[in-house]
Amino acid sequence: MRDFDFLKPATLAEAIAMRSSLGEEACLFAGGTALLLGMRQRLVNPKTVIALGGLADLRAIAFDSQHGLRVGALARHTDLARSPELRTHTPMLAHMAARMANPQVRNQGTLGGNLCYADPATDPPTALMALRASVVLAGPDGERTLAIEDFLVDYYATALGASEILKEIRVPPPAPGSRGIYVRHLRTAAEHRPVANLALVVERKGAVCTRARLVVGAATAVPCIAAKAGEYLTGKTVTLEVAAEAGRRLAQEITPISDLRGDGAFRRAIVGVIAKRAVAEAFGLDWKGAQA
Amino acid sequence: MSKHVINVTVNGEAHAVEVPAKRLLADFLRDDLLLTGTKRGCETGTCGACSVLIDGEVVKSCLNLAVQADGRSVTTVEGLGQGTNLHPLQTSFMEQGGLQCGYCTPGFLMAAHDLLSRNPSPSEEEIREGLSGNLCRCTGYQGIVDSVKNAAEKMHGR
Repeated sequence: MRDFDFLKPATLAEAIAMRSSLGEEACLFAGGTALLLGMRQRLVNPKTVIALGGLADLRAIAFDSQHGLRVGALARHTDLARSPELRTHTPMLAHMAARMANPQVRNQGTLGGNLCYADPATDPPTALMALRASVVLAGPDGERTLAIEDFLVDYYATALGASEILKEIRVPPPAPGSRGIYVRHLRTAAEHRPVANLALVVERKGAVCTRARLVVGAATAVPCIAAKAGEYLTGKTVTLEVAAEAGRRLAQEITPISDLRGDGAFRRAIVGVIAKRAVAEAFGLDWKGAQA
Repeated sequence: MSKHVINVTVNGEAHAVEVPAKRLLADFLRDDLLLTGTKRGCETGTCGACSVLIDGEVVKSCLNLAVQADGRSVTTVEGLGQGTNLHPLQTSFMEQGGLQCGYCTPGFLMAAHDLLSRNPSPSEEEIREGLSGNLCRCTGYQGIVDSVKNAAEKMHGR
């Protein structure tokens, strides 16, 4: 690891001022679980590290029925997993946070750090996109809010400006009766980075799907909304065959990445299967007992 | 490169030590404080051999800078027992075949300690999940799972 100066701002305003004056020589540091690896491999070589660990205000998690969920960018994955607000109002997000990576990383890594690093082989962006989340970015001239699909630009690239800091993640209140499901696929139980994942939020009247939002991640450079599969499901009485057809359509509409961990065809096949199972589960159907 | 005096409590003892910004917590513990119970394994956040507790929660000390521990309390494997008076987790690992070569053991003990502090009577699945950030290349894990289960029973009189 190359040498660097370490700054620890006490307030968000101070952190923004440091980032504005130091420019690209400086690097924001939240939990550090991913960034330290990059720095030690000399993939990231900041002259200055601006450590955000002292900004206690950015760790809060709150919910109200009008605005929904507000998660401070420095809330750790453990904080999300244990939050009564998440477990009550967006259990899918709490469930996701409780299973991502491993206990040590969850105790240190933050939601904001995860989003800003924009590693595709991770869990939170997919779940947040299905929940229609947005991010609040604070800069020298004030704040702006972006939908998460506008924030995540590409492989390790976001829309975060050179003098901005991600302050908060917002999730609108869930529609009454909606249900969220998050599924991740690991190549082996010992691997902590998903090769493909899928998040689904459905609204239903009995067995009829009235609204569906399916998002695929890890299999693609940034998570993508599978709009065609969602349209297909809307208005349908969901059976195992309908779930399987939604999976087939979803698999065809994504542009999968190929890398050492899995080629595109493999990822396409996997997301089709996990989508089928997630849709079936959302409608209380037993895919395990049925023929594949 | 900036240097910083950090105030950190390690195994109950307060230290004020000057470190360069890039000193890893694992290196600080081993090379500055000579607490070599914490192992450097993969040094890429994969194996968990360097696991320690910060404010009671398990983290990987190869993924932490020493400056991040400023003002906090660190517990290493040396802080689990007192001399020959071992922690129940340590005696259970000895009795239940929880180790062979022993290199991964300090990390497993710290992860198990975090797990049992939050969940005093974990199921086998919960134990495996709680230890999923640690690798062992000798035991095949069953002995480790048995050890943690055994320690939980001892500690909570099940």
